[in-house]
Amino acid sequence: MKDLGAPLLFRIMEKRKKKRLREPNPFMGPPLKCAGRLRQIMTRHYYLSRFAKGARPVAWVTSGAPVEILRVFGFYTIYPENHGALCGAQKMGPELCAEAEKKGYHSDLCSYARIDLGHAFSGKTPAGRLPRPDLLFASNNICQTVLYWYKQLSHQWDIPLITFDTPYNFQEIRSGDIHFMVRQFEEMVPELEKISGRKYSHKRFQKIIRIAAETSRTWGQVLAAMKHRPAPMTIFDAFVHLAPVVSLRGLPVALEYYRVLLNELNERIEEGIGAVREEKKRLMWDNIAVWFKLRDWSHLFAERGVNFVAATYTNAWAETIHHLTEESPFESMAKAYSLIILNNNLSHRLKLMEKMIRDYQVDGLVILSLRSCKPYSVGQYDLKRLLMERLGIKSLIIESDMTDFRTYSEEQARTRIEAFLEGLGV
Amino acid sequence: MHITRKEYLLEQKEKGRRLMGVFPALYPREILWALDIVPAEIWDPPLEIRQAGAHLQPYICSVVRLGLELILQGKCDFLDGFLFPHTCDSIQNLASVIYDFIGARKPCYFFYHPKIPHGHTARDYYLKNLKALAAELKRQFGPLKMDSLREKVDMGRRISELLGELYDLRAARRLDASNEAFYRTIRKGEYLFPDDYIAELEGFLTQTRSEESRNGATIILSGILPNPPQILTLLDDLDVQVGHDDLLNGSRRLLISNEKPGDPFEYMAECYFHMPPCPTRGSSISDRMRHLLSLINATGAKGVIFNVVKFCEPEWFDVPNLQEELKKRGVPSLVLDTELNQGLSGQMKTRLEAFIEIVRVHRESITTKH
Repeated sequence: MKDLGAPLLFRIMEKRKKKRLREPNPFMGPPLKCAGRLRQIMTRHYYLSRFAKGARPVAWVTSGAPVEILRVFGFYTIYPENHGALCGAQKMGPELCAEAEKKGYHSDLCSYARIDLGHAFSGKTPAGRLPRPDLLFASNNICQTVLYWYKQLSHQWDIPLITFDTPYNFQEIRSGDIHFMVRQFEEMVPELEKISGRKYSHKRFQKIIRIAAETSRTWGQVLAAMKHRPAPMTIFDAFVHLAPVVSLRGLPVALEYYRVLLNELNERIEEGIGAVREEKKRLMWDNIAVWFKLRDWSHLFAERGVNFVAATYTNAWAETIHHLTEESPFESMAKAYSLIILNNNLSHRLKLMEKMIRDYQVDGLVILSLRSCKPYSVGQYDLKRLLMERLGIKSLIIESDMTDFRTYSEEQARTRIEAFLEGLGV
Repeated sequence: MHITRKEYLLEQKEKGRRLMGVFPALYPREILWALDIVPAEIWDPPLEIRQAGAHLQPYICSVVRLGLELILQGKCDFLDGFLFPHTCDSIQNLASVIYDFIGARKPCYFFYHPKIPHGHTARDYYLKNLKALAAELKRQFGPLKMDSLREKVDMGRRISELLGELYDLRAARRLDASNEAFYRTIRKGEYLFPDDYIAELEGFLTQTRSEESRNGATIILSGILPNPPQILTLLDDLDVQVGHDDLLNGSRRLLISNEKPGDPFEYMAECYFHMPPCPTRGSSISDRMRHLLSLINATGAKGVIFNVVKFCEPEWFDVPNLQEELKKRGVPSLVLDTELNQGLSGQMKTRLEAFIEIVRVHRESITTKH
């Protein structure tokens, strides 16, 4: 199955790409050479998924779930949130959301969920076709929403749903919480064996854990490259290059890819190549990307000599997952996945943001307030105020959605961005 | 009892009891009672949002926004602490906003209840969390005597029995009480100490128990809480009875267990896992549907009203499937997208009246067939 039709597809893609070459933006540095490779990896992943059904067990997984355990059993994994981002970038958000709304799902609900349900009802997707899962695997370490959402899919298709329940860290993580999560892993094993028809192998699990930790560490190094002035890439690049650490974590392909990307970034640093030609100001991003505005906004800010060099969102896959250890895979997974930003208290988030602002020499902060994402958005107003009080950091809040642009006002956002940039003196 | 909630709580304070502001929804109240703490639940304070908007976006549900507003307006200054059960993402983050950023200057406690299907792992974890909460509260509020806990567990059980009786009588149409009076009484449990609540419920039972069966159409009310209260009064005006509810602050919190209380913690855990299904505890749609159908069958209800608080994700996700299943079974349903304390708009009133017409026609057609 490995190379089934993929080379032909890539040749077609290359031809298409040549036809729609865009004029380079004079305010931006040369594009990353790795971008083509990334496109190939992700296209191949989605392409091969069409043939996965029957050949391998298929799981749909939430972005914060400990996928490493599924890899032991050979699950082919699909990430509906990644698919949602893809739909958002292709500006298909409203169309797919509307499919879910036709079935009664409220337009106030998370747009990733509505896109996914819309896809489930209509079959529409820019990825050709997604395989129907044998298993749904959700963890509430990113939000409770995924539990409500995956429950719908489970009910709709009569497919088993495994939930990895990560108690929220109101203060420090507690030993009882770790024990609870470890026991869940232990109980998952026989269930996964039954669904996949494969036996658990501890040796294989350790290898996967090793690769996942190394991938997360390397992704962290990729992000850390942006500490350099000028930063060799922008956070808009990072939003795109995030896909392998989310979707292919635990597989060698993701690790290999980030090693290549890191080399390229180091070369750019040595040669003094910045993602923005004249980097005057450096910003940090808070929240999920606005997928339908990636290109527009990267250009808009670059034109003013402003580069985004850090984001709490991209950092999420570098912050804790590298703590995975093969010596105690279950316990280290419990800690790593429970301590991620959205499952941690806001005091932790404040400290993290302060550290990132200092480490990346950030001049300002853009906060995206998303009605789709309550755990990311509730608390942002206070974070903005406290960061201003403590570090004197200026910030801008933009109300939008990550994929459903029916709630986005271009005029209002532009006006606010312009005013913010003026305040920064660019 | 004719004093206001605030007057009652201040009176309790004068008696030497401590007051705990408790956010929705599920928490082990018996532990608080045993420590001589009065839980004052914060669901829908009648306030205008003035200050909470500086901390919370407009797309956060009004339960959360009003709760914060209550604190910011200084109306919780007489309380001795806050408890935040882990109900949803918004309450989770609100807890952190208050504890980490706003600084309530009072002890804050957090109570996590498991979201995985109910097995040994979930049960053991819940039990440990009960004991951990008790230990935390004990440090601040003094010794927790097991005899007292046992006594409060018994009182909790008595309350459940009384509530169960009230619900059963209402389902059998043998309760002579308006919808408004029923929920006004039930909701006193949000702040009354158990002995007072038991007396209140017993009094209400005596006054309203009826030998004659009530007529009129019956519906099931689903959602978070019976607010805006004008829904209830309109149903009363239309001579429609809420036969049963599937409300988070109503019957979804009924502690039902056939077990006899032995170890109080074990008993509380047992009760938690026997509560009716609820999305905030991770219940499946099938379980919710089965439960809803059992309420319909038990009451002969001819329709379901989903009164959903705007932006409430746990509720809104389940509604389409529940509606669809009801439709397949020929049960009409109505979905209301409501903001707390905002009254009923003309449009909402018209929709409700039209729905009741449908329910009545549906009822008559079934009666004629039989």
